[in-house]
Amino acid sequence: MIRPFVADLHVHSLLSPCAEVEMTPRNIVRHAAENGIDIVAITDHNACDNVTAALEAAKGTNVTILPGMEVETKEEVHIIVLFEKMRQLKVWEQFVNQHMSGRLNDEKRFGAQFVVDAKDEFIRIKPEMLLTSLSSGLAEVCTKVSELGGICIASHVDRPANSLIAQLGFIPPDVELAAVEVSRLTSPREATIRFPAIGKLPIVTSSDAHTMGDFLSGPKMVFYIEAPILSEIQQALKGQNLRKVVVQ
Amino acid sequence: MVVQEIIDVLQAEVIAGRAKVDNDISGGYASDLLSNVMSQAKANNIWITMHSHQNIVAVAALIGLSAVIIASDVQPDKETISKADAEEIPLLLTTLPVFEVVGLLYGKGITGV
Repeated sequence: MIRPFVADLHVHSLLSPCAEVEMTPRNIVRHAAENGIDIVAITDHNACDNVTAALEAAKGTNVTILPGMEVETKEEVHIIVLFEKMRQLKVWEQFVNQHMSGRLNDEKRFGAQFVVDAKDEFIRIKPEMLLTSLSSGLAEVCTKVSELGGICIASHVDRPANSLIAQLGFIPPDVELAAVEVSRLTSPREATIRFPAIGKLPIVTSSDAHTMGDFLSGPKMVFYIEAPILSEIQQALKGQNLRKVVVQ
Repeated sequence: MVVQEIIDVLQAEVIAGRAKVDNDISGGYASDLLSNVMSQAKANNIWITMHSHQNIVAVAALIGLSAVIIASDVQPDKETISKADAEEIPLLLTTLPVFEVVGLLYGKGITGV
């Protein structure tokens, strides 16, 4: 049976150097459960070390965690990648690690990168600089994600920084995207007028939360699907089999 | 001034679009935001960038740029090279950083838009 699921497919945990420490997996799950957010994708910059904790924290709740990452390509374009299963994301993580810059994070300037467990216990600090581009280009990233069974959504294409449209002017023909995301600054209707480059791609919106306030106040979508899984979300984005997504 | 003179000044490698090195240059533009280049650069400008992505050729063809210089020893993707040949956009490679390239071009009388 098709029913509505409120979703936020772009949320940073405290692993992202720019996110607040309140963004622990357990705290995100708790706030999602209390606020009727059914599906949350954890999407840290170029890393996914806190996704397992989020999956564990969500056990026994009504919240579904989607394994994800916000990847920065060689062109400095931000792309949300989502997978059904953690094991797919782990394979993707190997590709990311092979294409890291090799630089180390400077906590004082960029912020700390915390890895924690499902009970908010500190595990370690991730030393690699996450807030920078990989050496792999947009087309290669999207092809690889697709090969692994995941989907790609271009992040915040309405913003001046790290947006596919700002960086590259338009969406290249060799890039397979499931959707483009607009930030809270732009409504999907406005986006189609201001950014004709979006073309016929579905437009989604998410909170891109770095704080709990962002997470609760940020835009959400409602997926009309049978189950909170990626294959259903893909159908909804394509408007297939009576599935649909309503962007608020 | 034509593109060939810039090739000589920079001792740049021409990796694509060799047939059009006699294109006239009306001025210069430097940016790595392609959306910004599309809205600001003018026809027959020479454009200096660090991007290697094939979209640089599409943008150059769209505006009618005289050439694209990829600075700092960045190597273009192979699709970028084949597209530049197909679109007949001279693609120049240099090991010099963007700032040096702009300085040299300015010294030769090429100004911004």
